[in-house]
Amino acid sequence: MTTTKSRPAPEQPSEEPRIPDPIALDAMATAAPRQEFFGFDIVPPPDRPPQTEREMEVYTLGDGEMLVNMGPQHPSTHGVMRLVLKVRGEVVIDIDPVLGYLHRGIEKLCEEATYTTVLTYVDPMDYMSAMHNEHAPAIAFEKLYGIKAPRRAEYIRALVVELNRVFSHGLMMGFLALDLGGLSPILYGFINRDQVVDLLSSISGQRMLFNFFRVGGVNFDVNDEFLSRLGTWRANVLDTIEMNEKILTENEIFRARTRGLGVLSAQQAIDLGVTGPNLRASGVPFDVRTARPYSIYPELEFEVITQEGGDTYARYLQRVAELKQSIHLIDQIVDRMPHGPVQAQVPGIIRPRPGRAYAAVESPRGLYSVYAISDGGPNPYRFRMRDPSFITLQVMPKLMPGHLIADTMAVMASLDPIMGGVDK
Amino acid sequence: MDQAMVDALLGIGRFVLATTFLLLLTVPTAFIVGQMELKIMAQMQLRYGPNRVGPWGMFQSAIHGFKMLAKEDQTPDRADVPTFTLAPWMVFMAAAMSMLVIPFAPGIVAIDSEIGVIYFFAVIGLSVVGMLIAGWASYNKYSLLGGLRSAAQMVSYEIPLTLSIVGLVVLTGSLSFTEIVEWQLAHGWAVMWQIIGFPIFFIAAAAEINRTPFDMVEADSEIVAGPFTEYSGMRFGFFYFAEYVALFIMCAILVTLFFGGWLAPWPFPAQLEGFAGTLYGLFWFFLKTYFFVVVAVWVRATLPRVRVDQLMGMSWKVLLPLALINLFVTAAVVLAFNL
Repeated sequence: MTTTKSRPAPEQPSEEPRIPDPIALDAMATAAPRQEFFGFDIVPPPDRPPQTEREMEVYTLGDGEMLVNMGPQHPSTHGVMRLVLKVRGEVVIDIDPVLGYLHRGIEKLCEEATYTTVLTYVDPMDYMSAMHNEHAPAIAFEKLYGIKAPRRAEYIRALVVELNRVFSHGLMMGFLALDLGGLSPILYGFINRDQVVDLLSSISGQRMLFNFFRVGGVNFDVNDEFLSRLGTWRANVLDTIEMNEKILTENEIFRARTRGLGVLSAQQAIDLGVTGPNLRASGVPFDVRTARPYSIYPELEFEVITQEGGDTYARYLQRVAELKQSIHLIDQIVDRMPHGPVQAQVPGIIRPRPGRAYAAVESPRGLYSVYAISDGGPNPYRFRMRDPSFITLQVMPKLMPGHLIADTMAVMASLDPIMGGVDK
Repeated sequence: MDQAMVDALLGIGRFVLATTFLLLLTVPTAFIVGQMELKIMAQMQLRYGPNRVGPWGMFQSAIHGFKMLAKEDQTPDRADVPTFTLAPWMVFMAAAMSMLVIPFAPGIVAIDSEIGVIYFFAVIGLSVVGMLIAGWASYNKYSLLGGLRSAAQMVSYEIPLTLSIVGLVVLTGSLSFTEIVEWQLAHGWAVMWQIIGFPIFFIAAAAEINRTPFDMVEADSEIVAGPFTEYSGMRFGFFYFAEYVALFIMCAILVTLFFGGWLAPWPFPAQLEGFAGTLYGLFWFFLKTYFFVVVAVWVRATLPRVRVDQLMGMSWKVLLPLALINLFVTAAVVLAFNL
């Protein structure tokens, strides 16, 4: 649904455009030799000159150096990530992440959608934590509209986001092992993941993009199938995680490859805006669930876990510890869940008063927050998401120089970015 | 014709027959090893594995082979065509040729050479040339990295691999595989005499044929498929073929050198006479060989890959000194006890 917007345009930054003159580009393209492919003309892409100082630095090759294009079709680049590696032999000297291969314009779509339907668009952003993606906008819109979700709805929300965290972290263990060449942990990780996804699908009706949250509550109350599945899952979840832990945590090869690899110091992590498990693995006890309490987290027994070292192994251990902590939180939530409605009274089309609202949640990848501005219309005037994966990715050029090509993917997997969230 | 001529012709005929038979043997070997890898790894990873083609999916790897034949065989635009074409053959022939000296059962050996051990290690090392050529000829950066990795890895693991055998050679006083097995008939399996030599050989052999955890060369999460990145169709198939055959051969040599070759284990009679004895020997030989194939698959399902520099460090800093110590200790024991 679209609405005509008669709104004042925000101020545009007056900056010189960095893209070269289109006419010059066209001339370059036509000057290149034409090739033919089954009767079709192929116009080779123009040789694009470096646009910034940073690009100049990466793409200027010294003696004995070469550029290796890792992705977007590399077998292990976590979605469609493209890393341009400058290497000397096998040693990475510099790295340039190239983004945008999965850009779907979600932010703009959300601005065209009503407040209710925004919650369906944010799902495929960070597809490993769809519940968290919905949680932050739901809180923000409730603030904007001035309602509160019922307590039972808050408990169900906390339950499903923690379940989501469990499978996200569980799979991260597997992906890290896969990028180090271990073939089994990913499949063991998927056992747990499949159970959780079945569990969430029995409450929300979908397996991956749940569309479960509503402004002012959640879509469905817990049902018998969900409860019975939850019991089965809880009974064996620690076993399936232990399978992976046995094969990885004390494995000599795994430790030799991950310890001291890609060390992110606490100061560096703070400077670069890294949040979530990556920040806590560097020893900074920052967790949105305690630092900016939301939902029912203040009522739960909860401690911020940190690791020392900030290397790939610490990030792995941090994920495992948080996974177990999430299971502990789920136990508490199930024990204390109150009775009552799961949805507050809201109209079909929500028209909040003009204003702005901000909400942040702790997603499995860090601080995920949304900022919504209302102008009184049925859809947000401005809707902006801060995705932690995007912020995390910028540490790659800081961590990689000096390591080997073989370690690039290991560091990448330990940072655990999801490209759907990076490109939005 | 005099007797010498007849002997020579008979020898040539026997050689042609044996090589043809061994080349044909590589096909079922590769399929069986491939199938075992698919199915056993599936069991270890709690999935079904192939279960559609034939009973229990047992023709899956054969179907993979036919698929390779049916696929388009592409050559990259800027590849060096002659070497690009030659490389898969070199790798495959290195594996197939090394089968010539394996004694499968008493008398069942293509060439009962006096220097079988030297021949074997010389020929199996040739595959590195094929890998290097494949990496260079493909005109691909990943291929090149993989080719150079294979050169570094194989050359450095050749040394502990060969040295781990020298102790055994000193002990048995022979370079012939058949004689080494016969020595074990008298003295018990060599693994009891070479407690350090066996693990060194096992690790170095895994590195030599690019098995996990030393599959640097085709590390799919790092350099796509290494030297094989640009290959398709049956040329790619040959690399795969060679890999499975090499796994079988390494396990066969391991069994021959350390686990008594065709000799049966303790409660059974070590070997029998006549045609039944040949079948008996073949049975035990293949049983033991495929046991080690299963071990290799097991390792692959369990361990992550080591890093390039750790791999080289392990070869030069750990395996080589250990192999040398093993050699000196064995030599001292042989000298002292006059074995």
